[in-house]
Order: sequence, then structure tokens, then C-alpha cells
Amino acid sequence: MADIVLSDVSKSYGQVQVLDSVSMHIKSGEFIVFLGPSGCGKSTLLRMIAGLEEVNGGQIHIGDTRVDQLPPNQRGVAMVFQNYALYPHMTVRENMSFGLQNVGTDKAEIARRVEDAARMLEIGALLERRPSQLSGGQRQRVAIGRAIVREPRAFLLDEPLSNLDASLRVRTRVELAQLHQRIGTTMVFVTHDQTEAMTLASRIVVMNNRRIEQIGTPMEVYSRPASRFVAAFVGSPAMNFLPVSSIAESDGQAVVNAGGVSIATEIPIANLPSGDGLTLGVRPDALKVTAGGSISGVVEIMERLGDRTLVHVRLPDGSLVVAEDGGKSALEPGATVSLAAARSEMHIFDAEGIAYHSS
Amino acid sequence: MTAEALPRSQAVATGSRRDRPLDLIGIVLTALTLLVALASFFPIYWAIITSVKPDGEVISGSNSLWPGRFVFDSYIHIWNNTNIATWYVNSFVTSIVITALVIVSSAGCAYALSQLDFPGRRIIYVLILACFMVPMQALIVNHFVLMAQFKLLNTWAGIILPQLIVPVVIIVYKQFFDSVPKEFREAAQMDSAGHFKILFRIYLPMNWGVTAALAIITFIGAWNSFLWPFLAATGEATMTVPVGITQVKDAYGIVYGKLMASAVVAGLPVAIVYLIFQRRVTQAIMLSAGVKG
Ligand SMILES: Nc1ncnc2c1ncn2[C@@H]1O[C@H](COP(=O)(O)OP(=O)(O)O)[C@@H](O)[C@H]1O
Ligand SMILES: [Mg+2]
Repeated sequence: MADIVLSDVSKSYGQVQVLDSVSMHIKSGEFIVFLGPSGCGKSTLLRMIAGLEEVNGGQIHIGDTRVDQLPPNQRGVAMVFQNYALYPHMTVRENMSFGLQNVGTDKAEIARRVEDAARMLEIGALLERRPSQLSGGQRQRVAIGRAIVREPRAFLLDEPLSNLDASLRVRTRVELAQLHQRIGTTMVFVTHDQTEAMTLASRIVVMNNRRIEQIGTPMEVYSRPASRFVAAFVGSPAMNFLPVSSIAESDGQAVVNAGGVSIATEIPIANLPSGDGLTLGVRPDALKVTAGGSISGVVEIMERLGDRTLVHVRLPDGSLVVAEDGGKSALEPGATVSLAAARSEMHIFDAEGIAYHSS
Repeated sequence: MTAEALPRSQAVATGSRRDRPLDLIGIVLTALTLLVALASFFPIYWAIITSVKPDGEVISGSNSLWPGRFVFDSYIHIWNNTNIATWYVNSFVTSIVITALVIVSSAGCAYALSQLDFPGRRIIYVLILACFMVPMQALIVNHFVLMAQFKLLNTWAGIILPQLIVPVVIIVYKQFFDSVPKEFREAAQMDSAGHFKILFRIYLPMNWGVTAALAIITFIGAWNSFLWPFLAATGEATMTVPVGITQVKDAYGIVYGKLMASAVVAGLPVAIVYLIFQRRVTQAIMLSAGVKG
């Protein structure tokens, strides 16, 4: 088993810097997800671990070995590409055997590993077919199978689900989680889809604009986002942001005036920076429609999801927030509602986007 | 949609294409195509029937489109009185060797230009493109002097070497390799394949059609090439078929029947290759036309 350690890894294409001093420690057996918007450098980082992209600065270790100068095949990692890159002229069996043949694994061992992987992925019946004769989901399994037979120290997966249709994507996501539980090998998974990240990851690495914004478990990232970017990127529906017009104190905790109403938080006022430019952040699930709520507004739109209802509410100062009501909500657009904000789930962001949470 | 237009569009939807009556433009174009096809085919037809007419009928100047009597004297004559068997061997050996070497070296060259990062690769590619603009004829004196100095005139090697320069094959291969998603190479790299393996086990087999097409046009080109083999082979022992058949005329004066018979024999392999690989040949011509266009 082997940890993957990145130390101050940087990457530029010519004058354009794509990654700036990225460091992280991936523990053996973890399911790590790189999450971030398109173009933030997730694939580049993954490909640097794989050895497909040169490292311009910093070091990468896998286990005790420094690998950043080694060719891809000597790093002991396997990669699953977004378009799968299955060799079109080879059968599934040949696709899975090719890498092992190249390193001189003996025939019986190759056959055993291919059969094992095929059984695990339920592609045993497809071994003699060519990729063009497979469905998208089957190709995806073969791509994973080709990685498994190499018995790598880590799997690197670059948006492996993005070519599947929605229902298959959800099913494959679950299967991938099961596979990880079964074989226990480190997985590094790249996606721009926060749902995939939340559901699969042991830890999420949220990336934006050349650097890491936060590394944490899905719940840490969700409930204690390190920055306004993370808060906005993770969670669906997205967090509400309201500019703070003034702050008062109650028992050492901040009470903010935002959206034209006064909202109590459990954020220690001593932690907050002085000055303007603060923003209050509150997720829809922390803003419930309640009879005695302290915040009142007017319903604009109702989004019924069945088990709950998202209510878009116009606050006194004209800003719009999304709040939650039960599935059987009797509200109508135009109605006046009162909302209650969960004090412990309030976040404040300063002008630089740094987050402050309840202690 | 007007009421008038309705039945016609239904006819298109239900009837097969053959049922649809040709409009005037269609008829004119079809007639024109037929005419051009006939005009192109006529000389070949004329050569074939002339070759099977008795000598007397050829010389009598009759322009009949069908021989009065079929005789194979001309063929028997060229078989018995010329070195056509040797010429055939020479043509086959040189054309096949040229094809094999051009394909392997061009694929390797194009792979390097397309996939490897080395200083000067841009310039090398520009030079190859420039070669493409220079016709063989312009270099033929240099080739001749060079081959003479190497003492390779009247050898297979002398016929083959200058014909190994076929930039269009490199260019088509490079475009093909450029179009292969880079993930295939990366997947192969992760699978511990070196560049030779990537080229010969992944890239070329991925689409044999490209190689087949290029091999066919190279073969046809080599088989039909005249000027260089004509200069390089002065003795009958090393002549290729197109060069050899010029000897038929020289040896017997103007004997049309025999001349035509040797022309038919010379063209036969290309005709066979064409008939077998018709689709590939068309594809090859389009591939290289794409480069020229
Ligand atoms: N070969 C390259 N040359 C120049 N710029 C590149 C190259 N590959 C990626 N980039 C740039 O690097 C940035 C990060 O790319 P990438 O890692 O693919 O992003 P992501 O996978 O997060 O969408 C992008 O802005 C992209 O334009
Ligand atoms: Mg990407």
C-alpha cells in the first residue's frame, strides 16, 4: 500500500500557469475526488500523478519512491480516461492483456487476472468482443477492467462517468463505490460534478483558479466550507449569499443585518475581521419556512421536489433567497411567509472570500 | 405545403430511389457521365481488341469495333520473342519493395513528426511539404548522377532508391496520426508500450484502411512509373514492364497488334489491383486529394 504525496507541485504551459504550488497527502486506500469547475487544472494534476504531464516544480512521491521523473508505466498507477481510449482493433480480452503482455507477465497469470477482473465487473461474456460492439456502460467497465488487471497501487480516473447517460451514471457511481470497498485500492477521481464528489469521496479536494481551495470530507466541505467559492460550488440548491449591512453582538456572537432583516448566528464576533464587505451565507436547508420565524418575505416561485419544496422568497430589501418547506407545502406565490434561520448553520465570508463558521 | 407538392413528396418517401423519374438535369448529367466514361474506356477497349485481331486485319486499316477473328498470336509472339517474363519479375520486385519500404519508412517518419517533440520537427515537416512540390522530373538528373556514382544503374537498387521519396504518404500518415486522440498513445504508454509498439500495434492496426489505401497508390505509382526506370535500366535484364514494352516497338517496327498486346499485359496487374481494391483505391485518391486540395 502506498500514500501519494504531492509537495508544492506547479505546472505552466508556456507563460500560462495552470497549477500553483499544490500540496496534498493522499492516504493509502482513500477515495479522493478532485472537484472544481472546468479548466481549473484537475485533469492536469491527475495527469501529472500519472506521468503523462511533466512537472514544472515540486515533487510527487508514491510510497517511498519519488516518481515525478519516472515514465508513466513505472509509477504503479493505472488510468481510466474520460473517452476510455480502448484500442478499437483489439478484443476486450486483448485490451485488458496488452499492458501485462508488454511487461512479460506469463500467459497463465494474464488469463487468471483477466478472468478475475471480468467476473468482478460482470463483463465475462464480452471478452471476445471489440469495443465498437459494446454499449457505453460496458466500455466503461472494460476501461476499469483494463486498469484493475494491472493491480496498481492507485487508480486515476478522469471524469469516467461523464460519457454515460444520467441513470447509468448514478448506477455506475454506486458500483464504483462498491468496487472501491471491495478492492480497497486508492482511487483519485476527477469530476466537475459536486454530487459525484459528495457521494463517492472519502475526501474532496476542491480546486479553483490554479490552487486548492479546501481538502476535507464531504460533510466538512459542505458544512464548513473554507471559502466563499467552495460554499457556492458545493451543495445543490446553491447557498444563499446576502451582503451584511451591519453587525451587532449578543453573548459574543455576531448578529448580522442582512437582506433587510436581523439574523442571529453562532459565529464568535471576535473572529470576524472589522470593516465592510462581509457576506452572510445560508444554505436553503438551514432556512426553513416556519410559522413563528423571525424573517418575513413574499413567495415568488415554488419548486416542488416531492419530499420537500424550494421556496424562492423576496426579502424586505429586495434580495431573493431560496428557503425550504415540506413536500406538502400549502404556500402559493404572492403569499407572505416567515422563515427561521438555523443559528449554528450560518456562515460569514469576508471580502477575500475567507469563511467564518460557528465555533 | 401546397396540395400539388403533397403527392410528389409522398412518392419520394414511399418509393425507392430507382422509381423516381429523373428530371431533365438528371438525364443530361447521366448522359454526360456516360459519355465521359465511354470516352475514357474506349482507348482501353481499342487496345484490347486490336491485340486480338489478326495482323492482317489491323494493318488493313479496318476500323471495325469487333475483331473478325480472335487470335492470340500477338500475345504468343511477345511471350516468345521478348524478355517480358524478366520485365514482369523486375516490375514486381521493384514495386513491392518500393511499396513496403515507403509504407514502413513513411509511417515511422510521420509518427515522429506527429507524436514526438524534438527540435527541428517543424522545419523537417516544411521540407517534406516542399519536396511534395518538386516533381521527380526536376531531380532526375541528380538521381541519375548519384546512382551512376554509386554504380547502381541497371540494378534493382538503382531503380528502387529514388522512388522511395513519396512525401504524400508521409503527409497523409501524419494527418492520420494527428487525428488520433492522444489518449490512445497515453493509454499505451501506461501499458508499457514503447513508440515502436505504439506505432505498429496500436496506431497502424487501429485503421488498416489508411495503410491499405496508401500501399495501393504507392504500388500503382511504382508499377506505372516510366521515366526513372527508363533511365536507370538500360539493359533488358533490369527493365520493368513499362520500359520493356517500348522495346517491342523498336524490335518490330510499328506492329500495332503486338504493341497493344504488351500494353494490355503491362496494365493487367494494375487493373487487377484496381478491381480487387476498388473502394480502397478511391479512398486513397480522396485521401491524397485532400492533401493536395
Ligand atoms: N496542452 C496544453 N497546452 C496549453 N494549455 C493547456 C494544455 N492542457 C491544458 N491547458 C490549460 O490548462 C488549464 C487546466 O486544464 P485542465 O487540467 O484540463 O482542466 P480541468 O480538467 O480542470 O477542466 C486550462 O485552462 C487549459 O486551457
Ligand atoms: Mg478535465
